[in-house]
Amino acid sequence: MHAAIQVDSIQYSYGSHQAVKGISFMVAPGEVLGFLGPNGAGKSTTLKMLTGQLVPAGGTIHILGQAVRGHSSAIHARMGVSFEEKNLYHQMSAEENLRFFASLFGIKQPDIDGLLEQVDLLKRKKDRVSAYSKGMKQRLMIARALINDPAVLFLDEPTDGLDPVSAQAIQNIIRQRAAAGTAILLTTHDMMEADKLSDRVAFINEGLIHAIDTPEALKLKHGQRAVVVRVRRGGGIEEIQVPLDAAATGDSLKRAVDGQEVVTVHTKEASLEEIFITMTGRGL
Amino acid sequence: MERPKISGPALVLAIMKKDLLQYSRDKLYFWLTIVGLVAYVAIFWLIPAEVTEYAVLGVTYRDLGPLDAAFSEAGEEGLRLLRFDDEDGLRRVMAGTAEAWLDADGELVVVERGDKDSRPEGGTKQTLTLGLAFPDNFLLDTLSGREATVRLLVNNNTPVELRQAMRSLVREMVFMISGHPLPVTEPVAETVILGVDRMGAQISMRERMRPMLIFFVLMMESLSLASLISVEIMHCTVLAIAATPAKPSHILLAKTLFGMLLAFVQVVVILALIDAFAVGNLPILLVAAALGGLMFSGVAMFVGSMGKDFMGTLTWMMLFILPLAIPSVASLFPGSAPLWVRLVPSYSLIDILNRAANYGAGWLELAPAFGVLVVWLLGLFGLGWLTLSRKVARL
Repeated sequence: MHAAIQVDSIQYSYGSHQAVKGISFMVAPGEVLGFLGPNGAGKSTTLKMLTGQLVPAGGTIHILGQAVRGHSSAIHARMGVSFEEKNLYHQMSAEENLRFFASLFGIKQPDIDGLLEQVDLLKRKKDRVSAYSKGMKQRLMIARALINDPAVLFLDEPTDGLDPVSAQAIQNIIRQRAAAGTAILLTTHDMMEADKLSDRVAFINEGLIHAIDTPEALKLKHGQRAVVVRVRRGGGIEEIQVPLDAAATGDSLKRAVDGQEVVTVHTKEASLEEIFITMTGRGL
Repeated sequence: MERPKISGPALVLAIMKKDLLQYSRDKLYFWLTIVGLVAYVAIFWLIPAEVTEYAVLGVTYRDLGPLDAAFSEAGEEGLRLLRFDDEDGLRRVMAGTAEAWLDADGELVVVERGDKDSRPEGGTKQTLTLGLAFPDNFLLDTLSGREATVRLLVNNNTPVELRQAMRSLVREMVFMISGHPLPVTEPVAETVILGVDRMGAQISMRERMRPMLIFFVLMMESLSLASLISVEIMHCTVLAIAATPAKPSHILLAKTLFGMLLAFVQVVVILALIDAFAVGNLPILLVAAALGGLMFSGVAMFVGSMGKDFMGTLTWMMLFILPLAIPSVASLFPGSAPLWVRLVPSYSLIDILNRAANYGAGWLELAPAFGVLVVWLLGLFGLGWLTLSRKVARL
């Protein structure tokens, strides 16, 4: 498959501190890659190199088949970025913000109403951004990232601190864009969100990618699955865990429930966060 | 999807349009600009345009004989005489409790201060610089060798030099009448005027204000632009622009052109409103306004990059503006500026504006000043461009 984003052994240092230590990955068209890591792991530096704000000290980046170095304008024309900072023009309205950014892409008649409708801001399009709530600003950031109908989308913490309704709206847009063929690199702290949205996730810590795979594969490979049986015994409730990946899982499960008054039975799966902590020794 | 292509100039223009919209939305700077323009023009036209080239001397005497000729001669050299009938009237006018008016026939009328009814119709009020009260028998006493007292009446507005000159004048008169030599022989002085003799065509305070008002406009626009840049950096909006086909160089160029045009347009408006084009060299004033706008855009880029908030921007701006304002204030006073003022970066700009607007200086005459201005412009603009570039790169 032709990669929309192809990163090979990129490095970057701030003085003597090596922030990114030769990482490689690719994102295919229509794929969502969740880029997970704690603060200072190298996520933002990687994102800045991908968006052309920083020049890698080593390695190569190809976006839509073109090297970022030397083709930045052509690549930026097909790229959408939603930053972690709400870097909007607060004295301008949502419509004016979008119109300005459309003009930077040379789009003469942008579908501003359509975009604002997608993010549920159409009714407030004339209001100045300074009057918007955090969630509204974040939705406008997403609309701005989509103004040029990008083939590649970089989203940095797109739902950070949002209420569940706003977060759900943004997650829906991400799914729609991916279904339409946009390659999406999603940087987030929220493991649940990454699990729900990402086709694959990459664990980055101290400038290195520790694992990159689908959430299911990572859970299978690095996490432990079990069946948890809760039984009533001697006036109390006792919990019995039966590992699913052991050789005699069936027999163990049979012994756990045989002759007992079963209260609940449910499966337990390792979360991405637990796997991340197991692999890196660090929490998110 | 067919991707539209956008040229560099179109990107710069798009950013400038956005800057203009943002500028118009910043109520503080927008209104400060409007109020400033109105205030500068009002101050200019309120300042008197007349230049007083003579001192008005009030005298009381009856028959002074040969001294009449001496006074007439003094009158031709910058003294205008007003003859009072008595010392009391002269004293009251000098003390400010009465007013001296000349009626339509040129006769002196002394009225109580504020007594509008007593003022002669069609008369003009006279402001005395100094008074000389001769005793009634001055001529006789002097001729007969008796001591006579001439009283010099002064007030807070009388220049010290004039008091001394009057004392000399009186001593000279005594010598003329009595024939006795003065105890001190004063050297014969010849008045030598260096440069153009502007007697009869002196520059009024109003005209001297032109460079200072233009500096105020440049300063205000510099602060507005610095604020725009500072906000762009603080909110990281510059990063959002850099993630489009626009490069940091487009952003810097747009800021430069926007700042320069904003300052240039306002300087041209104020030059027109303070009548500078009518008396000055129009092309030189326009070029100077454009170069001034560019120089102050450089200052704004530096200040905008350094200031982390409104107060920070204001503080940095004051550090620049206060020294840069010195030449514009110095231009209010006649005479050459001291060497250290000439070393201030804005001096050459103020000098060009002053000489072109007030003295009609031409290209050849101003070429050295333009040379110095370009050197300072490159320095300040280079500093601003470099600082802002580094700031954007480090965001």
